[in-house]
Amino acid sequence: MTGSPSDRSPAEPPEGTESSLPGSGAVPNPGPGPARSVDGAGEGAESAVFGSGSPGSVPHPDPARPADRTGPSLRLSPKVLLTDPIRMLPSLFLPLAGVLFLGGFSPGSFVWAALGVVGSVAFSAVRWATFTYQVAGDRLELTRSLISRSVRTIPLERIRGVDVSAPPLHRLLGIAVLRIDTGAGGDDKQEGELDGVTVEEGERLKAVLLWHARARTARRAQARETAPASGSGDFTAANVAEPATPAVVRHEVGDATPQRVFFVLPRKWLVYGPLSGSYLLTPFALVAGAVGLAFQWGSEFKIDRRVVMGAGEWLWEHPPLLAAALVLLLLAMPVVGVVMYAVFNWDFTLRAAEGYLIAGRGLITRRSVSLERRRVRGFEFVEGPAERWAGFGRAWAIVTGLGDSETRGQLLPVAPRETVLDVLGEAIGPITTGLRSHPPAARRRRLFRAIFPWLVPAACATAAALLWSGLWWALAVPALILALLGIPLGLDRYRSLGHTYDGSRLSVRSGSLRRSQAVVEKRAVVGWTLSQTWFQRRAGLLTVTAGVGAGSGGYAALDIGEAEGPAFAAEVTPTWLAPFLVSEDLGRGNPLPAESSLLGSATPGEPPTPDRSSSSGERGNG
Amino acid sequence: MSDRADEHSPASEEATAAGRPGERRRGTPGRARVSLRAPANPISRKAVTLWLMEGILWSLLLVGGSFLLARWIDEGRWSWLPGWALDNIWWLPWLMVLLLVPGTLIEPFWRYAVHRWELSEDVVYARSGWLSREWVFVPVSRIQTVDKAQGWFERMLGLATVEIRTASHAGSSTIKGLDYEVAAELAEGLARRAEELRDDAT
Repeated sequence: MTGSPSDRSPAEPPEGTESSLPGSGAVPNPGPGPARSVDGAGEGAESAVFGSGSPGSVPHPDPARPADRTGPSLRLSPKVLLTDPIRMLPSLFLPLAGVLFLGGFSPGSFVWAALGVVGSVAFSAVRWATFTYQVAGDRLELTRSLISRSVRTIPLERIRGVDVSAPPLHRLLGIAVLRIDTGAGGDDKQEGELDGVTVEEGERLKAVLLWHARARTARRAQARETAPASGSGDFTAANVAEPATPAVVRHEVGDATPQRVFFVLPRKWLVYGPLSGSYLLTPFALVAGAVGLAFQWGSEFKIDRRVVMGAGEWLWEHPPLLAAALVLLLLAMPVVGVVMYAVFNWDFTLRAAEGYLIAGRGLITRRSVSLERRRVRGFEFVEGPAERWAGFGRAWAIVTGLGDSETRGQLLPVAPRETVLDVLGEAIGPITTGLRSHPPAARRRRLFRAIFPWLVPAACATAAALLWSGLWWALAVPALILALLGIPLGLDRYRSLGHTYDGSRLSVRSGSLRRSQAVVEKRAVVGWTLSQTWFQRRAGLLTVTAGVGAGSGGYAALDIGEAEGPAFAAEVTPTWLAPFLVSEDLGRGNPLPAESSLLGSATPGEPPTPDRSSSSGERGNG
Repeated sequence: MSDRADEHSPASEEATAAGRPGERRRGTPGRARVSLRAPANPISRKAVTLWLMEGILWSLLLVGGSFLLARWIDEGRWSWLPGWALDNIWWLPWLMVLLLVPGTLIEPFWRYAVHRWELSEDVVYARSGWLSREWVFVPVSRIQTVDKAQGWFERMLGLATVEIRTASHAGSSTIKGLDYEVAAELAEGLARRAEELRDDAT
């Protein structure tokens, strides 16, 4: 939501009509409800303001349907009676098998096992019957009245995203799992889950819940009138077809909401998945799992442990077979990698709808994550060595208040670099180029850190090999090889280092095996940490970390020059740093103000632009 | 702004006593290449005692631990250790003492020279560390919570720690070793000012 006037004004009528229905009966205690659950969320001030500021003016999704308002108390789809016991089956299996074995497969044991199954079905039936959910006024209430009655209240205005996912069995039955993200800092207790709503109901509920989030946005935009539109220009992508009038938005499925599809992963690109290195080790994990299972189930089924061990020993005594197995595993790596990657990223689709970026993926479990565009603060572009060699990359969104952002924030799977950057440019913003490199001392430091940790064991093991036993060579040689590999690694890590600021967004890059460039809006910066270890001090370097209330929380420019570091922070947020910078530079005796002189030294290519600091001079333009 | 002036006052005599140039010579011996001036206010002198107490406690624990380890090894005669190590195992606690004592004695004073804080222009600026340094800038407008905390030793000495949190761990600051009144005043003032300035951009 860019919060343009055209967005806001149509939101008026429903709000007006709502406030004319005072109290609306359905909300017995509009005050305490939200306040209670907001307490621990660290966002109390904001939410409290809204709670008290507009208590009665809860915008109603559709005034024509009063059923929504009082919120019919709804149950999950009865189909969960099927899915729940089946999901419980694995945990039930062993006890059931145990009962059967102990009873020697007598009729009595079958009765007991059947009782177990019936019991589990009955249990899920009771769970189903006692669980209801309800949109009551401005809250979503999840009520469970099994023995004691517990009500979880989620204020609608705190909902930041809704995921709908469908595990295989759910998909078969046409139901889905709805997860409600309240951005409560990854605290599961604060999040809501509806496991087993029909797909239609899921879509309807999602629309209702997100509609409230949008209404809140509109209200807030109205409250501030001027603020939101200004700062968010390039990032919340005004070029996307947003719904012209939120009043049009209904909550039925198949509603004609304008959508825009940014990206659909072509099937053949799934082959490139292993370039990222993900899932490559799956074969080994599978083998390890199989061996573990063999031991575990072997005892269950009275197969002697010695048989399993014997098989292992037999294999160990036939090195060619062992080698063949290893080769087979190695060959399986890319194949299994592709398969696993394809299963998780099948039909990866990124689209925009109603102020949300929606990323959907998955073959068996279809997962879709909605990211509120208003909360997107930037992105992270990631490449591994193989991907860089092949010209590929991946991307994550940096979103405020998104828990588990590593999996949920992914915007693009492994795809050609140009495609990724194009899509990013359209969906969020262009990547910043012209990174300023870091001083040569940073290269020495990267090299040292890449080589030294391997050189020490290599030296120790070599000494041990010479003094005691030749067996130590087995440790010394690999360590030495790794130390040697550290040379190109360290050099590449240095080449990766860079930072820049383009007037509205800052960008830092680092890493080699996972080279990651983060591009973050200036307004997302909540503070700076400059740190310098003893070794960095001797090298005249320091690390500048921009604290960002989104994504991983901080994005660091590693080993930046001792003088450039503070200057960089001051360049991004001049008003915060200016009072604390010293202009005189003892080393050079340069009388110029710190910022400009240091900028000059930091960017040999481009001259310091005086208008840059003035253009970004206003404080915290959020 | 008035509360800011108040916060400066309790520490002002110490600040003038330390003086900025003198402090820099002590804080970053021999050089001042990081182009940041030192924050205006030192922390309480009692913080030296605090760190000394903490350091001594830890040293005692470590030396005691190494003593027990040495005794255990000596009795058990671990076979995989080389002979010279077993014969001289009783050097271990003494080595520990040798390593820990200078560190324990130097660290508090070094820290006292480095740890400083300041609140001006609605930005909290704090410096901390000893072997490693850390400079943290937190604009008041982005503060989410301000806590003040007191551990055992701190309560004994009348000290307190102010924890300033934003939405990000990298934009959060912890100022240790403040006099309790200074800490209370700072926390109070920050909370009040943060409410006035609260900026919802993140």
